[in-house]
Amino acid sequence: MIKSFRRLHPQTLRILALAIVLMLTILFFASQIDGYLSPRMINRIATSVAVILPIAIGQAMVVMSRNIDLSVGSVVGIAAYLIGDYLGTHPDIHPLLVVVMALGLGAFCGAINGALVAYGRVPSIIVTLGTLALFRTYLVEYSGARSITTSALPQWLVDLPQMTIFSIGSFDMRLTVAMSLVAAIVFWVALSRLRVARKLYAVGSNPDAAVVAGINSSLVVFTSFVLSGMLAGLAGFIFLAKFGNITVVAGLGFELKSVAAVVVGGVNIFGGSGSILGVVLGTVLVDTIDNSLTRWAIVSEFWRDALLGMLIMIAVATDTFMTRSFGRMKGKSE
Amino acid sequence: MVAPILEFRNIFKSFAMTAALSDMSLAVVPGEIHAIVGENGAGKSTLIKIMTGVYQPDSGEILHEGKPVTIRNTYGAQALGVAAIYQEPMVFPDLDVAENIFISHRNLGAFMNWSKLYQSSDELIARLGVTLDVRRAASGLTLAEQQTVEIARALSLNVKVLIMDEPTASLSAHEVERLLSIAKALKARSVAVLYISHRLDEIFRIADRVTVLRDGKHISTKPIADVTHDGMVKDMVGRALDKFATKTRANEHGALLLSVKNLALDGVFRNVSFDLHKGEVLCFAGLIGSRRTDVGLALFGIAPATQGRIELDGQSVTISTPQQAMERGIAYVSEDRRKLGLAMTLPIYANISLPSLKKFLRRLGIIDRSAENAMAESYRERLSIRSPDVKIDVGKLSGGNQQKVMLAKWLETKPRLLIFDEPTRGVDVGAKAEVHNIIRDLAKQGVAVLVISSDLPEVMALADRVLVMREGEQKGIFDISDCSQERVIALATGQDAEASAA
Amino acid sequence: MLAKLKSWEGLLLLILIVTVLVNAAIVPQFLTMQNQINLFQLSIEKIIVALAMTFIIINAEIDLSVASIMGLAACTFGVLVENGTPAGIAIMLCLILGVLAGAFNAFWIAYVKIPSLVVTLAMLIMYRGIARVLLEDRGINGFPQWFGDLGQKAFLGPFPLGLFIFLVLLVVLGLVLHRTGFGREVYVIGTSAEVARFSGVRVARVKTILFILSGVVSALAGLLYAGRLASVRGDAASGFELDIITMVLLGGVSIFGGRGSIIGVLFSILIVLNLRNGMALMNITGHIQTAVIGVLLIMSVLGPNLAERTKSLGSGKATA
Repeated sequence: MIKSFRRLHPQTLRILALAIVLMLTILFFASQIDGYLSPRMINRIATSVAVILPIAIGQAMVVMSRNIDLSVGSVVGIAAYLIGDYLGTHPDIHPLLVVVMALGLGAFCGAINGALVAYGRVPSIIVTLGTLALFRTYLVEYSGARSITTSALPQWLVDLPQMTIFSIGSFDMRLTVAMSLVAAIVFWVALSRLRVARKLYAVGSNPDAAVVAGINSSLVVFTSFVLSGMLAGLAGFIFLAKFGNITVVAGLGFELKSVAAVVVGGVNIFGGSGSILGVVLGTVLVDTIDNSLTRWAIVSEFWRDALLGMLIMIAVATDTFMTRSFGRMKGKSE
Repeated sequence: MVAPILEFRNIFKSFAMTAALSDMSLAVVPGEIHAIVGENGAGKSTLIKIMTGVYQPDSGEILHEGKPVTIRNTYGAQALGVAAIYQEPMVFPDLDVAENIFISHRNLGAFMNWSKLYQSSDELIARLGVTLDVRRAASGLTLAEQQTVEIARALSLNVKVLIMDEPTASLSAHEVERLLSIAKALKARSVAVLYISHRLDEIFRIADRVTVLRDGKHISTKPIADVTHDGMVKDMVGRALDKFATKTRANEHGALLLSVKNLALDGVFRNVSFDLHKGEVLCFAGLIGSRRTDVGLALFGIAPATQGRIELDGQSVTISTPQQAMERGIAYVSEDRRKLGLAMTLPIYANISLPSLKKFLRRLGIIDRSAENAMAESYRERLSIRSPDVKIDVGKLSGGNQQKVMLAKWLETKPRLLIFDEPTRGVDVGAKAEVHNIIRDLAKQGVAVLVISSDLPEVMALADRVLVMREGEQKGIFDISDCSQERVIALATGQDAEASAA
Repeated sequence: MLAKLKSWEGLLLLILIVTVLVNAAIVPQFLTMQNQINLFQLSIEKIIVALAMTFIIINAEIDLSVASIMGLAACTFGVLVENGTPAGIAIMLCLILGVLAGAFNAFWIAYVKIPSLVVTLAMLIMYRGIARVLLEDRGINGFPQWFGDLGQKAFLGPFPLGLFIFLVLLVVLGLVLHRTGFGREVYVIGTSAEVARFSGVRVARVKTILFILSGVVSALAGLLYAGRLASVRGDAASGFELDIITMVLLGGVSIFGGRGSIIGVLFSILIVLNLRNGMALMNITGHIQTAVIGVLLIMSVLGPNLAERTKSLGSGKATA
């Protein structure tokens, strides 16, 4: 037991710390807001996390490969709007096919990013800043200033957010939340167990060594962008189901929120390390703060972004200091 | 003789206008340690990169077990059983040792079986005769341990040809021993080992055959028994080497300039004490990794010492930034031109003027370009930097000329103390002599020079006094008249300690 | 390297001339003085900040927080004036705010050594968040008449104040970058921060100065923006960083640092402005304009990359 504690990976410590911070945050808000720990509040946060979580997982994989995807918010918008629009004219299409279409649409956008980054050798920050604008423009032009409204959507989709798989007391496990969680579990297992997925860590950890080890780095980077787009497409579908009314600004700002969730969740911004469990905790923490502030009487809800920015900075600074003092400790012992 | 596993026939490869390899033929035989030697730029690294599929030859043939093959990429090389380990090991710091070893495998199934992975890694590591916790993250490993990981990775791929490129360059003495025994163990397992090293003594100890390259051409391949040290050097440089005149007596020197007492940096070096006079050349000798550079960096304020005293002109000083060092007349010429020495994409004049830029600033901080240009031109002439003008990017110059630009850059600061780290690394023989002459001239003009060098003949040719370090500790300091190569090596490798213990 | 830069700038000049000629041919009023001034005036805040961004990117850093600092300065000005602070003092306070915001960025980047991409991304969110806290979802107008005039009307000859400031900064910053010791240090750090440190350059200090410059210039631009629109909202100048960075990169400044020139950036600014103006005169919406700029941004890096690859492939074949 002691031996295994000594061996604890810094990443594990990081997740423990994050869980404690999340707990303290919840306790803090519980002491400030009446009826905070109600199933209603939990449901509210859970359904909100359901939208962001897939994006954050995709972003995490991109960041692990030493890149960044700032276009995810626009991809969410495109997926939500285009799918909603299509359903308006084809209401009878099978729900599963709708999900697949959303994934495909997102993957297509991601493939554009991935091709430019991995094969065009354009830095990801430039590519995705560009496609952030491009995808959104396409959406604005396509929409012609129309909005998607709930009335245009098939009934099953309108009912979807209320669909409950099971209930624990008055907490309901919504289908949308379940979809998001399944995505998280799938990628969690894949990243830790699937041999192919370990290449993502390898490429992010040391790109030169990856080449020498015979790993196709370009393909790995490309794939991470495709997956990121695909997950943003899934988020777009959940977004559509959750809100029903979609305007061209759908998903605006999600890129920053996802980066925040990923960084707070302990994914190394220089690539190579991070876990999906951390990303889940990070997303929940960011979203909990976001949702709780709107309920907190003392502080205006407009503090959300300011706090989000500070939270990212604190997370990165903590990370930097931790890595450095860890490095120093090691340096001394040798 | 056994049939070769890998054979090069008449390989040509050129970059832009220079031929890196011409008409190269070479046969690699299983169960043999085949050493490849040659000066920098002789074509060794191009040869390796063709073997590992990084480069494609322009023409010529590669045979694998007698059949012609094309090695398209690293993966293709792996499939043929060819792997390489480098001076700077290629490991993944975020992954643990076991995963590092098996990262290149493709036929272990879709899912990770961690317990099996650890078990097989343990076995592989044990076969190399070393101990290493395979669950550790690679970020905490020493250089030697990282190399072990790389060798284990090659073994796990069932390697048939293992290329070792300068594997011992950064290792301590007993790590070198371990590496050499690993190489012998591989040989016993019928692996063909291609051993590339500048350290000729190692080659005589382990190689079966030696191939000499020069200017991209194959010069000779001989069994080790038919090779003499001098003959090998002659093949490498194309003529018998003019031995640098070994200094037997120290030159006259001036007043005391620098006095260092018990200098130490926690966990890096300790107990360094010496005096340095004006006009004197003090050489720091020792193996790579003996922390000589760190002493230089401490004196230059990059990584200041944590204990001890530095006195300049009899006064105690603290040096905690390079600016403070430069204000006191200290210059440090780095061993790493590419990373620390020169801005490769900037022109010669901008590189030379950089540390003394203040001198060329006129009103409002505007650079006096004509003065700057004239200064750079004067160095081009004085140090015979071979370049049409000073507006050329330094990255386009040869190693020797880059070295002169770097020296010019620091001479322009008019230093009283010049710290020169590996003054002739990666420099051809002709330029080497020129650099040595510049150092001697400087000393004559009263500059105190501290040379850090791993090249013993260089130390013997330049030094008035020699300080030997081993594993972060000063092991001795003596006058050149009491110095011999044998004595330095004994101190640097710790043989004296072993001898006295025995 | 010089020849390469020259050819990039030559290419930009060619594109510029073509853009201007096409615009002039299609739209009759294009070459009028008023349209030319309008063309600058519509993006004046962005092009001013682009000059500071040129220094940052040549120094191998990036500042994503500029637009948020612009918004923060504009909102702070609005709140101060609304609460009765004289506009002159409010302007000073906002410029000081810009210095502080830049210094805060610099602290994390130059001293704690966290990558500027991460720091300024966090600050993009945080500074914008503070602007939102200040104004919530209302707008402020009712600035003094003279403040609005400075933003909108001719200040010196036909030039509005913003254009005048841009031209002065262009000359001054151009000289600083290409003629002074400080400018040289910016290039060296951008090429290799370690080489600069080993040559006695105070790397952290240079970076600090640059981020403070970026902060104060952004604050100034934010004030001009408030004056030009005669009102501020929490989302003032939001998203401008994309256009600003595009102008700089299109101007031949390498995202990896160490390369680029003010002239190149000037050309690219003119190209972007003319493109936007021409498209606007042809009734193409702002969103499409942004998309075209986005494509240009990607192409400005992809183009040279592909050219280099085909060139190296070509030379490989030639020797075979």
